Amino acid sequence: MANKGWTKRLGMLMMAVMLVLSACSGGGNGGNKAGEETDAGADNKGNEAPAGKTTLSIMWWGTDARHEATQKALDIYTKQNPAVTFKPEFMAWDAFWQKLPTLAASKTITDVLQMDAAFIQEYVARGQLEDLSDIDLSGIVDPNVIENLSIDGKLYGIPLSQNAQGIAFNKTELDEFGIPHPHKDWTYDEFFQWARDARAKLPEGKYPIGDTTTWDGFNYYQTAMGKPPVMSDGGKTFTLDKDLFMEFYQTYEEFRKSKIVPPAEKAASFLENDPQADPMASGVVMTRGATTGSVSALEQLMPGKVGVVNLPTGPAGGGWAQSTIFLSVSATSKNKDEAKKFVKWFISDKEAGKALALTRGIPINPDIYSELEPTLEAKDKLGKEIYDLSLDKALPFYSPAAGFSEWVDTYRKEMDAVTFGQQSIEEAFNKIEKMGKELAAKAGG
Amino acid sequence: MTADTATRTGTEMEPAARKRTRTKGNQLAGYVFISPWLIGFLLLTLWPIAQSFYLSFTDYSLLEDPVWTGTNNYTKIFTDDSTFTKSLSVTFMFVLFSVPLKLFFSLMVALALNKNLRGMNLYRTAIYFPSLIGGSIAVAALWRNMFGIDGYINNVLAWFGIEGVGWISNPDTSLGTLILLNTWQFGSTMVIFLAGLKQVPQELYESASVDGAGKVRKFFSITLPLLSPVMFFNLVLGIIGSFQTFTSAFIITKGGPINSTYMYAMFLYEKAFKHYQMGYASALAWILLSIVALLTLLNFMASRYWVFYESDGGKTK
Repeated sequence: MANKGWTKRLGMLMMAVMLVLSACSGGGNGGNKAGEETDAGADNKGNEAPAGKTTLSIMWWGTDARHEATQKALDIYTKQNPAVTFKPEFMAWDAFWQKLPTLAASKTITDVLQMDAAFIQEYVARGQLEDLSDIDLSGIVDPNVIENLSIDGKLYGIPLSQNAQGIAFNKTELDEFGIPHPHKDWTYDEFFQWARDARAKLPEGKYPIGDTTTWDGFNYYQTAMGKPPVMSDGGKTFTLDKDLFMEFYQTYEEFRKSKIVPPAEKAASFLENDPQADPMASGVVMTRGATTGSVSALEQLMPGKVGVVNLPTGPAGGGWAQSTIFLSVSATSKNKDEAKKFVKWFISDKEAGKALALTRGIPINPDIYSELEPTLEAKDKLGKEIYDLSLDKALPFYSPAAGFSEWVDTYRKEMDAVTFGQQSIEEAFNKIEKMGKELAAKAGG
Repeated sequence: MTADTATRTGTEMEPAARKRTRTKGNQLAGYVFISPWLIGFLLLTLWPIAQSFYLSFTDYSLLEDPVWTGTNNYTKIFTDDSTFTKSLSVTFMFVLFSVPLKLFFSLMVALALNKNLRGMNLYRTAIYFPSLIGGSIAVAALWRNMFGIDGYINNVLAWFGIEGVGWISNPDTSLGTLILLNTWQFGSTMVIFLAGLKQVPQELYESASVDGAGKVRKFFSITLPLLSPVMFFNLVLGIIGSFQTFTSAFIITKGGPINSTYMYAMFLYEKAFKHYQMGYASALAWILLSIVALLTLLNFMASRYWVFYESDGGKTK
């Protein structure tokens, strides 16, 4: 008796579940049917479209100008290839590199993504990027460039532009206070002396140069002095020259005392390209680092006031001038062929080139650049100027080796602690070197 | 009660047995009905938790298979990771200050809002309103603008000729601004207090008045003891919540300057998703869980000395 009641109840429940399920699937069927009907109505086209229709997801970082230009280029591609539409995501640099690791972790990186020379090794080492060596770029990109960009003989990013690192300076205010402009190929000694001289002429609250606490700032110095880069051989060799390290940061310590660089607290509140908080646009610091691809944003904040010079040099040279921004294809993409077709188009189509202009630096494709050259605006010319100034002394671009992302953070934090007076330069050196050596040993073993 | 049930089972054996089977059937139906949640819990919560426990004993970069390393992660965390010590002490400081401050502040506001004034509902809404947008990124961004070196706070200070510091960019004050933000987000705590205050029987106040008790006496002898269960609830939740603080540190200060606001949750996040050390991050998560569990246990043990339940006749256990 009791059992019967129980089965009855279960039966009822099952029936209820079935009803609910069939109600759902019924709805689904209805939807499908309606879909089929419209397809049929569209005749032949309807049969073709579902087979060839592709949506490429694409993600990049940059400024508003770059966002608009890129969206325009995507529209052009869709117009030329109606079967391909895009799902774009775009954001600022910081947001991009915060988001990408989570996408990588969940294996949902967009089909096409912008890549930077500073991170490409890391992502290649983790198998996130598709090998693009089979894309034929002859006549579009200089073979030497491709050779330089190869990682273990393979190409993982289509270079988009020529880029270079230089220093932007506030020429209007330097003139106002009677400070000479920095000259091309200035040496580190001249750079430091220029800063000391400028201090004497600047009013209080203004500073000639900014402080430095990131690893690349010192790496420029170490390599310019003819020593090997901090990380080489894929992270297996780690070189931190103690003498140069002490010399470099002791100079900056002196600069903090004599107010040649802004106090640490002030430096921590700077935010580049923010109208109020940009160190240079806010009128606080007379110089700051700028690249070919990014200087136009600064020029727009302070039109007509920006001059540029290359990075200080040493006996071995200084700075870099090469391609650092790429388009890569995700290794987990389901539309690799379409994606590869698109990335090649991105640097070879004239119409796209016109839409993109110099929003990613000087286009890598000389044909496209020569078409753009006559119409360049002042902000674009600055980028070209940085590149031209940097070219003959340029050293290679050194990126952090794979597995060193935490070390990069540690470097900045330890040096920040020095600028806030919480530890000595030597203490920071010991910690940074210890961690670097450990990582190099790990990479070697 | 117990005697009653005993006699019933004794005298009416058969119906009771039937009742039991019927209960079984009802239980199954119940489980089937909650199965969507149950399956979700088992697959999306319990399974990942179990997995993270396993991962905490491995070296796992997400992209390659995890490699078993025994207790290596834990050993490294406890013996050779100064960032762990730093972020833990930052988090403890944060909890130590923000929890009592928030409790005190929300209790004061709740008391102020527990009066019978005209338009009180309007005040309550207005004061609760900021908490609706509370933990969001927008508020964090607002905070950055307020406490930045050229922020509103310093602008106001400048009117009085005081030169403010960069509240957020100074390692001595940055944690303070985050504590302040957490305190300001008092809304839900305050509402719970308010509900608690409403539960205090009015006749207790009346009889106390008859006995000549003043306002202060009434607060300490009636309100506070009767509110202690609510206080306890808020305290436990507050501690757990504060240990997990992430958004404000991530958006406003990015953990800096020089790790002065490098909250434990942010340390964990960066280990996992910035440096791809999932095994290490899992170990960190389990350590956090143990710390929070231990503190909650201590709280429950301590509660018998200060929490009064009216149902126990007003006695502590």
